[in-house]
Amino acid sequence: MRFIIQIIITAIVCFMFQKLFPWWTMAIGAFLVGFVFSNTGFKSFLSGFISIGLLWLGLALYVDNATQSILTEKISQLFPLNLFVLTSLIGGLVGGFASMTGALLKP
Amino acid sequence: MKGIKFVISLLLTVTLVWALNKSWNFGDPIPPLGKFLDPFHGFWANAELKASPDQQLNLPGLKGEVSVVYDSLLIPHLFAENDDDLYRVMGYVTAQHRLWQMEFQTHAAAGRVSEILGDVALDFDRNQRRKGMVFAAENSAKAHSKDSIVSKVYQQYTEGVNAYISSLSYGDYPIEYKLLDYDPELWNDLKMGLLLKTMSNTLNVGEDDFEMTNALNLFGKEMLDVLYPDWEGVGDPIVDNPGGWKFNPITLDSVPLALPDQLINIEPTTKVVKGVGSNNWAVSGIKTATGSPILANDPHLSLSMPSIWFAAHMKSPNVNVMGATLTGSPVIIIGFNDSISWGVTNAQRDLVDWYKIEFKDESKNEYLSDGNWLSTRKVVEEFRIKGKDSFYDTVVYTHHGPVVYDKSFHGESEKNHYAFRWIAHDESLDLKTFYLLNRAKNHRDYMAALEYYSGPAQNFAFASTEGDIAMRIQGKYPVRRKDEGRFVLDGTKTSTEWQAYIPNEQNVMTKNPPRGFVSSANQRPADQTYPYYVHSNNYEAYRNRRINQQLSVMDEITPADIMKLQNDNYSIQAEESLPFMLSSLDSASLTSAEQKIAELLRSWDFVYSPESVAATYYEVWYNSLYRNIWDEMTSSTASLSRPSDYVTIQLMKNDSTLSFYDVQSTPEKEDLRTLIRQNFTKSLDIIDVWENENDSEARWAQFKNTNIGHLLRLAPFSYRAKNGGNGSAINATSGTHGPSWRMIASMEKTGVKAWGVYPGGQSGNPGSRFYNNLIDPWVDGRYFRLKFPHSVRETTPYRYYTTTFNSTSK
Repeated sequence: MRFIIQIIITAIVCFMFQKLFPWWTMAIGAFLVGFVFSNTGFKSFLSGFISIGLLWLGLALYVDNATQSILTEKISQLFPLNLFVLTSLIGGLVGGFASMTGALLKP
Repeated sequence: MKGIKFVISLLLTVTLVWALNKSWNFGDPIPPLGKFLDPFHGFWANAELKASPDQQLNLPGLKGEVSVVYDSLLIPHLFAENDDDLYRVMGYVTAQHRLWQMEFQTHAAAGRVSEILGDVALDFDRNQRRKGMVFAAENSAKAHSKDSIVSKVYQQYTEGVNAYISSLSYGDYPIEYKLLDYDPELWNDLKMGLLLKTMSNTLNVGEDDFEMTNALNLFGKEMLDVLYPDWEGVGDPIVDNPGGWKFNPITLDSVPLALPDQLINIEPTTKVVKGVGSNNWAVSGIKTATGSPILANDPHLSLSMPSIWFAAHMKSPNVNVMGATLTGSPVIIIGFNDSISWGVTNAQRDLVDWYKIEFKDESKNEYLSDGNWLSTRKVVEEFRIKGKDSFYDTVVYTHHGPVVYDKSFHGESEKNHYAFRWIAHDESLDLKTFYLLNRAKNHRDYMAALEYYSGPAQNFAFASTEGDIAMRIQGKYPVRRKDEGRFVLDGTKTSTEWQAYIPNEQNVMTKNPPRGFVSSANQRPADQTYPYYVHSNNYEAYRNRRINQQLSVMDEITPADIMKLQNDNYSIQAEESLPFMLSSLDSASLTSAEQKIAELLRSWDFVYSPESVAATYYEVWYNSLYRNIWDEMTSSTASLSRPSDYVTIQLMKNDSTLSFYDVQSTPEKEDLRTLIRQNFTKSLDIIDVWENENDSEARWAQFKNTNIGHLLRLAPFSYRAKNGGNGSAINATSGTHGPSWRMIASMEKTGVKAWGVYPGGQSGNPGSRFYNNLIDPWVDGRYFRLKFPHSVRETTPYRYYTTTFNSTSK
């Protein structure tokens, strides 16, 4: 339960950070939430990874749907990997590491 | 223990964020992945929703309110209360839709592409600087800043563009900035100059003085005049007025032509580009169904995404004009207002010369001119290169212009130096012509507007609601002696320099000619009795005849007839060469497959229609034959030009003994019949391979496969057009060039009606449905009525959305 709550809180905090500030501030958000929840390193990584991965994936899917894939299909030709996978992976990795770092700061 | 883990984890996180926040280059450039894929601000944010909401925007510096109503094609209709506001908002609006293109075009002109793309662009950049593009743009900006009217237009427009740029955060950037990871910089007068000079560069620099000098040395004058005649004697000149040139021309003392006796081993960076050209015409009311004149224009340029043109309608109490702007120009370049319409084609004329320079010594500090040693001016050009240290290049300027080639750049040695004299280097006030045309009311205003126009020289077609039609070939033209400028010139004597310019009133022009129409398609400007020496290496031979033939016989002309004519795919070149080529084939020697193709070609109507297979066979056969005949030109170590298609076809028909028919690389001695025969077989092979690779019949549109390429050559942002036409047809769509803006204006007293279309779309954003929405209609030869409302209220039926600009801090 605590794990799932951490995922949700991370997503909400990072959503607000990203609405207002550059993309990397999401790492600060995940870090802070990770610190507060202070799970084990691995669990914290996983919650950050899942949280940001899903946040980015969800928004990407929303944009793609609302714009009828007008840009997705063009940009995907420039990348060797599926754009949705790549987007959530990149977001997830940063979220995961930041969250883990936060958890590891607690003595 | 946990402390160490924390530090490692922190380092990992920071490194990851850092790595994902910067661009990399492992052979292929990779955008900053975190930044780019972020669905909040990355590329996802560039995907546009279908409907845009009405908007209120604060634009400081405005005196009143400006309404910008977008119609269903995303053409903005600007309604301003005064001119200053009009140009300010025009800057803002153009940048809103085309910022990246505006900047990239001017970066390219200024030789700054390496800053964005790295050293792959260094040779291109160096060439731009060494040709003096920035020098030319600075002179242009200087001249415009001295004019009280134009300088104000520039200032308002620039501030409008910059207000938009300043409002942007990363998420709003056009996608190309995100892909290449750089930021837009502020707009300025120099960029405006660079934009104008890009046009001069496209239209003037396809000259071949080095090649002609080599040809003269290799083949002699007699053969030179056979291969590259000064007067091909084909078609009507733009203005045919034999014996009617009643003025005293400026004359120069004659001087003997001095030519270097050795071959020039410079690899010129610019070659004649086939396909750059244009059509325009205006038909008098006596030939139209409504009794009002109709004007038509289609400039043929390199086709690109986003399009070079941005359509707009601009209205203030002083001006009400609509048409196409060169993206980044504050005024309409081709368009119409309530009283007049105008269109331009390139006025082919030699406006570039190369002067052989004698330097005193290797330092290149001094050079000889009429027995005196003059000082050079050295400009150190810095090229900032993405991911590398800057490159520095010293360009030596003489009073003629910059020395473009040397040992370090496309020149063979330090023995020969040539200074580049180009009309575009001179100060000129070209934009003022368009400013005045935008608000011209009649023929007199049109003539007054053209007084300011210097270059690139254009054929300005004109039609008015008063019923006048006109054509004026306007540019700043040096007075030349016969043959002067065809070859390189002696830079040590001032006598061969440009000493005088043809007075504007002695330029070629006509008004309401008896034939009932004016037209131009890059052919010769005037008949042989025009008192000045007129030269160009590429006067057009086919389109102009087809246009004039058609217009002569047409009557009761409607705009629909004109649309059909602009999309006409008939080729006089094919008509004049194919029957001869076929008659030279010995039928007995043909295989049955070859017989079939010969039969197909015999029944061809010379129309490059999209579905024509015969057009493909003719095209491949002719081109292969053409290259084969002139193999001497490409195999020579010295740079040489190939003769024109017209000359080639005339020679084939009239001179069967030309030594050039023998192919250099074979021991046999070929004659013309052999070449025609061999290339026929070869063309079948080429098409066979194509058909197998593409698994389809070689229909012309498929085979030609016209590329409308994104400026960065990014395939997903580019398009292929499947249309007919070719360089020799009025619909001059080749594989890379074509009618970049088609416009027709019917100058009716009760209200001007106009139609237009271009291959592209109003938005420069590949994530918008307005990015490419005009391509298909353009391919099909369809047009859109250009809505020309006189008030915001009139826009209601086709309003897409409205942006209202105000200044909260007046």
